[in-house]
Amino acid sequence: MAQLLFEHIYKKYDNDTTIVKDFNLEVQDGEFIVFVGPSGCGKSTTLRMIAGLEEITDGNFYIDGQRMNDVAPKDRDIAMVFQNYALYPHMTVFENMAFGLKLRKYSKKEIEERVKHAAEILGLEEYLERKPKALSGGQRQRVALGRAIVRNAKVFLMDEPLSNLDAKLRVQMRAEISKLHHQLQTTTIYVTHDQIEAMTMASRIVVLKDGIIQQVGTPKEVYDRPANVFVGGFIGSPGMNFFKGTLTESAFIVGDWKLQVPEEKLECFKNNGYMNKEIILGIRPEDFSVSQTSEDLPHQTKVTVHIEVAELMGSETYLYSNHDGQSFVARVDSSTDVQSQSKMDLMLNMEKAHYFDAQTEKRIIL
Amino acid sequence: MSNRKKTPLIFKHLFLAVSSILFVFPFIWMILSSFKTSSEVLQGSFWPKEFHWENYSEVLEIIPFHTYIFNSFYTSLLITIYVLISSALFAYMLAFYKFKGKELTFGVVMATYMIPGAVSYVPVYVMLAKMGILNTHFGYIISLAVSVFGIFYLRQAFLKVGYEIVEAAKIDGASDWKILWKIVFPVTRSSFVTLGLVTFIENYNNYIWPALVLKDNDKKLITNGIADYFINSSLGRDWSHIMVASTIATVPLLLVFLVLQKWFLSGVSDSGIKG
Repeated sequence: MAQLLFEHIYKKYDNDTTIVKDFNLEVQDGEFIVFVGPSGCGKSTTLRMIAGLEEITDGNFYIDGQRMNDVAPKDRDIAMVFQNYALYPHMTVFENMAFGLKLRKYSKKEIEERVKHAAEILGLEEYLERKPKALSGGQRQRVALGRAIVRNAKVFLMDEPLSNLDAKLRVQMRAEISKLHHQLQTTTIYVTHDQIEAMTMASRIVVLKDGIIQQVGTPKEVYDRPANVFVGGFIGSPGMNFFKGTLTESAFIVGDWKLQVPEEKLECFKNNGYMNKEIILGIRPEDFSVSQTSEDLPHQTKVTVHIEVAELMGSETYLYSNHDGQSFVARVDSSTDVQSQSKMDLMLNMEKAHYFDAQTEKRIIL
Repeated sequence: MSNRKKTPLIFKHLFLAVSSILFVFPFIWMILSSFKTSSEVLQGSFWPKEFHWENYSEVLEIIPFHTYIFNSFYTSLLITIYVLISSALFAYMLAFYKFKGKELTFGVVMATYMIPGAVSYVPVYVMLAKMGILNTHFGYIISLAVSVFGIFYLRQAFLKVGYEIVEAAKIDGASDWKILWKIVFPVTRSSFVTLGLVTFIENYNNYIWPALVLKDNDKKLITNGIADYFINSSLGRDWSHIMVASTIATVPLLLVFLVLQKWFLSGVSDSGIKG
């Protein structure tokens, strides 16, 4: 178990492309940190820098207060799980897990004990004598995890470990990894492009884009108070809807919609000089609801929309529409019967709305 | 199976049978000719009228076979070991190291492959002479200890192993040497066997270069020995004797091939890594 500290980490390649820019982060002992972002955002590169597989161009990286920039991977006391498992094909499951221990000159007895213990945790006891070829994808992934567990390393690094599994198995392994972390309490850095994995597993999420940290926070913080338009759109499924519009004395205007902004927020906007300026309003799909008869619910604004497509998901229905050239999705209870290509009234919960600066796309702190 | 599938299979077998006969024919012809008289060899009949077993005892008396075959066998073996090690080390660097100018290095190595071997004879000869190891087995072996083909061949095999396995081993705590020996080698063993066999046969059959470098009679290789005694000699050419000598010279190669053929034929079937 360990603390990690990143100080102004940069990664540049020869041709002057910067992959990671000014990465600063402090990871506490036992945390489960998830790096999430679209492909090419530098999350894997950062993970590989932690592992020592990639050189750090600039900045300092510490594990437990010790600078690690120039320490070889094997001396960093880390274990890593790779996307395609990277098992040694010519070794049995037992040998795969024991390899790292053998190299570190553990006694035969200790190796046996540790491998058996890890196999128990992962339910691999029956497969110890098999070669990776004879295992299913999920079992291979477990062996890869086992290889990390037996080492008792300070830090676990996981590079999209679930992306080669089918959807059902992925959900199952997700829970298993979370359980494992609970048991072992090892500081873990987990890389994924799947925001659901990030939301469900992380103690804190680090959202990355173009090599720059967009936001660091607990899943709830990131979901409830996204730092900018990108984070709002990326986290959540479907992501946040955005409307560009103008703020007036009475309401937020988008096309022919007049959305009532709560009094106290309006006051704040006024004080910060956003009046009569263009801003971006963000609203999550679940903050729409099907209009009831009464219009006096607090902070609800009724809008009439033309539903282009209605998708029944089971317990809920996704309604796809657009307004003033800006498409959006609403998530409503599936008990309401909605047809595609129909007109209907929706309520918007303005209390839950998010506001972003139109220029910087950053959240307007209210 | 339908008839549509059966017909091409027959053709395939026929094709394979015919080409096998084409390849094996010179070999059979050599063995059969070794039992003929010299004039019978030139007459070109396929089957010997009479089996002249005494050809073998005659030839074994004429030339010191054991010296030549031993020389050929052990120099080829050492060269093969050197080539395997040097190729593996170089290929490992090309496949798994990251450094500036890696592509260039590989390019230069491959470019030297395009230079005909004969071009290097003179400079290497001069180098060996200056080092005072001309006409020694050591000099001969050293001059052949690196193979561009070997580097290229193993590099391709190593690339198939995949970068992630090597990285996983690094994190597990393995040094480069351990990774090469414990991970990469076992996974690419059949490539090593193939390269080893090809290198061994090539050097066992090598003729011009050892003829230039090795002058003393007791240092000569079997290829040069046969040539000296039967082709370039003043005794005239006895074709049946040449066939006998060639047949005997082939025996060690056959043995090596028989021992290793399982590996040689298995190819790279054991590299199933991804799911």
